[in-house]
This record gives sequence, C-alpha cells and structure tokens, in this order.
Amino acid sequence: MFYYLLKRAASLFLVLVGLAILIFVIARIVPGDPARIALGPLASAEQVAQMREQMGLDLPFHTQLWNYLVGLTHGDFGKSLLTSRPVSADIMQALPATLELVLFTIVIQIVLSIPLGVLAAIYRDTWVDNVSRIISLIGVVTPGFVLAIILQLMASYVFTFFPVTGRLDGGLDFSADVTGLLLIDSILAGRPDVFGDAFMHLILPATALAAAGIGQVMRITRSSMIELSGRDFVEASRAYGVPERVVTFKYMLRLACVAPLTILGLEFASLIGNAFIVEFVFSWPGIASYGVRTILQKDLNAVIGVVLVSGLFFVIANLVIDILLGILDPRHRLREGASK
Amino acid sequence: MMTTTPILDIDKLNISFSTYGHKSHTLFDVSMTINEGERVALIGQSGSGKTVTMRTIIGTLPMPPATIESGSIKYKGKELLSLSKRERDGLKGAGISIILQDPLLSFNPVLTIGKQMDDIVRFADIRYGQNRSADARKKHIIETLAKVQLADGTQIMGSYPMMLSGGMRQRVLIAMALLNKPRLLIADEPGTALDVTTQQEILDLLNALVRDEGLSLLLITHNLGVVREMADRVYVMERGHIVETGTLEEVFSAPKHPYTIKLMEAVPPLYGSRVRDIENNADKNTEIKISNISKTFVRRGGLLNRPIGEVQAVKNVSLEINRGDIFGIAGESGSGKTTLAKMLLGLYGPTSGDIQFNGKSLNELRGTVEFRKLVQIVYQNPGSSLNPKRTIADQLAVPLHFTGYDKAQIKGRVAQLLDMVDLPAHYASMYPHELSGGQKQRVAIARALSVEPEILVLDEPTSALDVLVQNTVIELLHRLREELNLTYVFISHDLSLMRNFCNKIAVMFRGEMCELGATKDVFANPQHNYTQALISSIPVISAEEENLKPKLTKQERAAVLATSTALGK
Repeated sequence: MFYYLLKRAASLFLVLVGLAILIFVIARIVPGDPARIALGPLASAEQVAQMREQMGLDLPFHTQLWNYLVGLTHGDFGKSLLTSRPVSADIMQALPATLELVLFTIVIQIVLSIPLGVLAAIYRDTWVDNVSRIISLIGVVTPGFVLAIILQLMASYVFTFFPVTGRLDGGLDFSADVTGLLLIDSILAGRPDVFGDAFMHLILPATALAAAGIGQVMRITRSSMIELSGRDFVEASRAYGVPERVVTFKYMLRLACVAPLTILGLEFASLIGNAFIVEFVFSWPGIASYGVRTILQKDLNAVIGVVLVSGLFFVIANLVIDILLGILDPRHRLREGASK
Repeated sequence: MMTTTPILDIDKLNISFSTYGHKSHTLFDVSMTINEGERVALIGQSGSGKTVTMRTIIGTLPMPPATIESGSIKYKGKELLSLSKRERDGLKGAGISIILQDPLLSFNPVLTIGKQMDDIVRFADIRYGQNRSADARKKHIIETLAKVQLADGTQIMGSYPMMLSGGMRQRVLIAMALLNKPRLLIADEPGTALDVTTQQEILDLLNALVRDEGLSLLLITHNLGVVREMADRVYVMERGHIVETGTLEEVFSAPKHPYTIKLMEAVPPLYGSRVRDIENNADKNTEIKISNISKTFVRRGGLLNRPIGEVQAVKNVSLEINRGDIFGIAGESGSGKTTLAKMLLGLYGPTSGDIQFNGKSLNELRGTVEFRKLVQIVYQNPGSSLNPKRTIADQLAVPLHFTGYDKAQIKGRVAQLLDMVDLPAHYASMYPHELSGGQKQRVAIARALSVEPEILVLDEPTSALDVLVQNTVIELLHRLREELNLTYVFISHDLSLMRNFCNKIAVMFRGEMCELGATKDVFANPQHNYTQALISSIPVISAEEENLKPKLTKQERAAVLATSTALGK
C-alpha cells in the first residue's frame, strides 16, 4: 500500500510542475503588456519600462520561468496587479468559500446518487426506477447556471426562507479562522446559529452544482449493480446461504462504488468550472469570482495562481479517489505491488 | 454406502421464462431422483436446460423472469417449492450446496478468501442459533481446507482469489461448498475450466470426498469423459426434456435415444477402432522451418518501470512443417504454445532464432502484403473475434481491402467465401449476434481464407463450441484443406481432438518442445513423461480406451506435474 501511495504521489508532483510551466508559458504568450495594463493608458513609456523592470518582465523568458518556479516552492505566487497584494494572500482568503461549496456539493452527490442508484437497481423496471431515470435526465440536461438562476428565483418568490446570496447573513458576527470552512469552524466555536445559517446558504448553490453529477453517478451505480447481480460470485454467495441484504449491501455495493468514484474524480474538474458560474450567480465570495475578475483584468500572476490552485485540488481529489479505489478493490494496488 | 432413500426427488417440473411479454417453456416434465450416497450426472449441451434445473434445485433461479408452472422438488421428503423463504434459505449451503463452474469468477475479487469463507459460516451460525467465536470458525475453515488437501490454511485465508493458481482456487471453491456440511453437492462442470492434468486431480478429490463424507452428488456437465469417472447413474437432457436415463453402464454401453447416440459418437476417441488417422497426401515440401527459436518477455515494474525479471516463454524450439500438414501444437496453459503461434504470425518477433516460410526469412516477410496473404489465423472465440457492430459482408471485406481487391470484386468474393463455408448467401447482410456459435466460427474461417492464404493458424477453433457443432467445423476444415491445398497449424490443449485431426503433433512443456512425431506414433508410444501424464489425464468414455492409456507411476507423474495443493513460488 505504501508503495502504491508513493507512486501516486510522485506522479501528482510531476503533474503539478508540468501544469505550472504550461500555464506560465500560456500567460506570457497571450498578447498585451501586463505593465502597461497595470499602469493604465496615461502612463509614459519610461514609467512602463520602469514597471517592466520592477516586475522582472525585462529578463530572458527562461529566467522569468525559473524565478517563478523557485518562488512557488515557498508559496510565493507573485503580486496581484488588481489588489496590489500577494496573490497567495488573496487566494487564501477566497479559497475556503469555494472549498466549502465544492466539498458540500460532493457530499450531496454521494449521499443522493449512490443510494438512489442502488434503489433503482433493486427495483428495476418499476416506478422507482422510472422516477430516478427522470430525475437523472433532468439533472444531466440542465446546465448548472440555468438551474442556479431558477433556484434563485424560486427562493426569492416561493421558498423565501432560503437566502439568495452570500455565505453568511450580514447580521451574524463570526470569523472562520481555524479551517476557513464555516460549517466546521462554527461547530468548533460552538455556534449552532452560524452553522444553521451557513448551511441554509450552501443548499441552493450546492444543489445547482450537484445536479449534473447526481444524474450521471446514479445511472452508473444502477448499471454497475445490475451487472454485478448476474456475476457468478454473487450467485455463489446466495447459494451458500449468505443473506440477500449482505450480498447486496456488502458484496455488490462495494464493487459497484468503483465506477461512480472514478467518475466523481473526473467530475471534479467540471465542478470547479461550473463553480465559477454558480458563484457568480449567488455572489459567493469564492476563488471563482476572484478568478473571473483577474482574468478580465489580465492580472497574470493572479490567473496563474488560481489555475494552479484549482489544478492542485483536482490532482489531490484524484489521489484521494485512487486511495479509496485501492481500499475498495485491492486488485488496484495488488497489481502495482505484484510487479515488485 | 448407497441406499435407495431419495435425497432429492424432482417430479414433473415445468418451468417457463417470460421476457418482454414473450413466454418460452424451458423445462418440460423433468423428473429426476438422487438417492442417498449416489452420484448422478445430468448431461446435455448448452441451452438444454441443465443450468435452469440446477438453479431451481439450489433456489437461485431469478423469478421473474422465470416461473415454475408445475411440479415438485422434494429434499429428504420436504417439498422445496412450498417452503417458507426462511427455511429455504436455511438449506442453502447447509443441505444442498454447489460448486460453480469457473473457479475465478465464483470468488468475490475484493475480499480475502478467509473473509468470504467466514461470512458463509457466520451467517449459517446465526441462522441455526450457533454461537461460535471467530477463532472457532477459523479453526473450522482450516479443517475444511485440509479436507481438500490444502495444508496452508492460514496463509490461504489471507490471500485474495487472484493470488492463487487455478487448481487451488478450484479446491478452495470445493471447501467453500462443504463449509456448512451439505448432504447434496451439485457440481457444475467441475474442472473443465482447468488444464486436463489439474482437472484429473480435482475429479479424484471430488470422488474421494463424496465417498468419505457420504455425500450425494449431482454432476452437471457436457463432458462425457468426466461423467464416466464420476457418476453411477445418468440423465440425458435435450431442449428441456429428459430423453434418456439409466445406470452409467446402461447408457454408455448401449445408448437408446438418438440424441444420446449422437452425443457419444461426437466425442473424439483417444484409442480404439473409431480413431481416425490423418495422412498428408500433398507434395510434402517443407513450408515452415522453425530453427532454434526463443522468446523472452521482460517483466517491468517498480517506480521507473525498470526491467525486473524475465520469463522465457519459448526455449530453443526447432521444427519443420510440410505443405499439407495438419500440425498440432499441444500444451497446457503457460506452455508457450500461444507465444509460438504468435511468432508464426509475425505478431511477436523472436528473441533469437528464425522462422522461414518457403525459404524466406520472417524478418523479410513481416509487414508485407505477401506475408498477409501467406498466413492467417482463426481465433478461439468467434463471439469476440468478430466485430458485433458490423455485418458479415463488411467483416469479410476488411482483409480484401488491404490486399488489392476493388469494390466490384469484393462483392463477388464475399458470396464465394460464404458458399465455401456452407453458409447461405443472404447471411452477408446479417450481424454476428444473429448467428449461432458454429456459424460465427464459419464466418471467422471464411474471413481468414478471404485472401487465399497457404497457411492457417487455428487457435483452439472449436473449444468454445458444443461437441456436436465441433464435429461439423472439423469436417469443414478437412474439406477446405483438400480443396484449397492448405497447411494447418492447430494449437490446442484438447489431445483427443488432436489425435483425430492432426497428422503430426508437437507437445510443449514449460516453453520447450518435449515430444514431436506423427500423431499415431506419439499416442501409441509417448516418449516423454509429460506427454504420458497428459494423455493419461484425459477422461475417456470407454473402458477399452482407459486400458490403452499410458500408465504412469505416482512418482513419474509427480516429476512432471506440480500439484495444486501448495502455494507456489
């Protein structure tokens, strides 16, 4: 298992280095002089040249890249032109909100889709299956931002107990400074009122984000379960008198989780992408709204920082999934270990 | 040991399946009795209703789509079909138990053997109100593993199924079936997924267990040789009907029903007057010359995919195949026969040595159109070697496209090819799933012949087919060889088929060729111990053949065969 993890971690590192180089190159290739943009159209040529020197833009390209990579090793993403603060500080401020939203979304996806998929498989071709099919279809075909707007409108006019924007009610005085995640920090601080309010704020944006994944994962869970129920070992367990509930929920479910988990790992990328839009709709103070603003302003250091951090979380999410798969299905890690 | 009290009594069982509103009758008035301590075989081809019968007895028949129309199944006088679910479940594994066919697929791949076996014991304990500790259960499991001659119980319990060899898995599977002390054991094609020498071990083991534990056995199989070694009484099933029944002696020496007679005749004999000797009447020029060929595979692994070891799959094999030969390459799994075949096809390059076709080296020929027109292959399983999404005509046209036929020619050639393999011309527009297994294999043969090759490599072309169908395909191959002047290289583990199909045979053993000669001579007087062991392990259907098999002492056998009782490596 250790060997398996080591291998996975090594590839994680390589992916990140590759991503950093790639995004840095792309940022330098796009037209437009960052120094000119930072100073505005009225600045003189000397001022721009001075700014370029200050930002290190006059150095040869490979030196710039090297300096940037060295900076990364101690968490230095450079300075944001937009906020004139270190990019790392900006990201640290915005990141927890997005992290909380995305994690909450994944929890919703897992909690809803896998049990629904199992139910649809057990009661296949009955009304339970049909209802689940319709739900998943709606989820898959509705773009996240459409659902976000619909939910917001409904919350404004019908279900008015749902807050429409933001992370926390303005009236509540609370600063999350342990983990940055409101749900966790409020429990740590013993503030049920904050927890409840943050929870209510999360539901609508997380639902809008989760919908597409729920549909997909549910269908995959269903077909995995159906496929497994015809396998020889399942029949053998039944024939040896292992109770049906154990066969379904212990033997089959465990294997049936492999495909949905793999999909969830891949979904994570589109989740981050969709979060950009959903955060915008719900005025969620996350990294996405920060990212959008910096892209529009051509604030290169900040853009690279946002992309790298998103990439980091994508890679970590997939590492976690790999570990889970290794636990669920030992063949994954045995195959790696067998060549030892 | 044997009494006349029935342990299982099936009376006039009728079962039907309904799928998409269409109802089909599967079992018709099936009646069958198994007495205490008796070994009964249920024989039939695939689709005859054997598996449905088996599932109905054990209680895993999915209902719906299946419906039991009428009939009764009594276990020790108790009617199973009207039993409460609770009582019925209580019999599973404890009264009636089963050994499924495939020793790999019958295990849960993600749980250790110990965990799976423990679950079986634990839930039976709960059901019967026993309260054994985890240690007591473990002790019981190790004892049961010892019954199937597996001594390393603790180590096996900690292993995952994929870590054991096929023979060991089959043994563990038998132990699993025995865990809750059943009285009736159902064995579904025992050992047929294994090599013949391992199969022999398993059959001996099952026979010993049935005798020592006083079990009753229901053997479900299509392999008549296995039936002869394992059964006292026989039922023959055809399309859901029991068409013949009697003692083993009665049915095997004087079969009455035409279907039984057909089945018996279809089994290729190993010795005796029914054996067919094949001669090569062609010009006998050397067509393929293999000289000192070896293939080594490098195993890679570790952090940077470094080479960490090698496996020598084929070691210094030299042989000559003449024009018109049906040359058999025999061997068990892992013997190197498939690697050798792939080198013949130019799919693997040899590590050392050379193959010459009509005097030209493979190194020159590889990748040329000329070579494609020279050697073609027919794969084992036509179900997976044909593309399910393309029509028969499309598939036959693929090789033609690459060898210079134009559109108009292709159409004519496809019709010609179908005619050649005795398929009607309108099959050209059908898809593989509309064809039976035998018909699909005919298409695969036609595809291989489309570019008019001189040499066909046949990789177990009939092992996925029922024995009756197998014979028609073999006849077709004989006819095509005459008509088209072909040379066959026949790869197989089925020695009784090879005895009747090949004129020359080479036996592969751990990468080396241990025996080579005319088929007749090799079977009459096998030289190598391994060949003797291999031939003597084949289940045959008459005492006459049994007596003619080579005799080996235990020591001689052990010298060439690794038993499947210990953890390897």
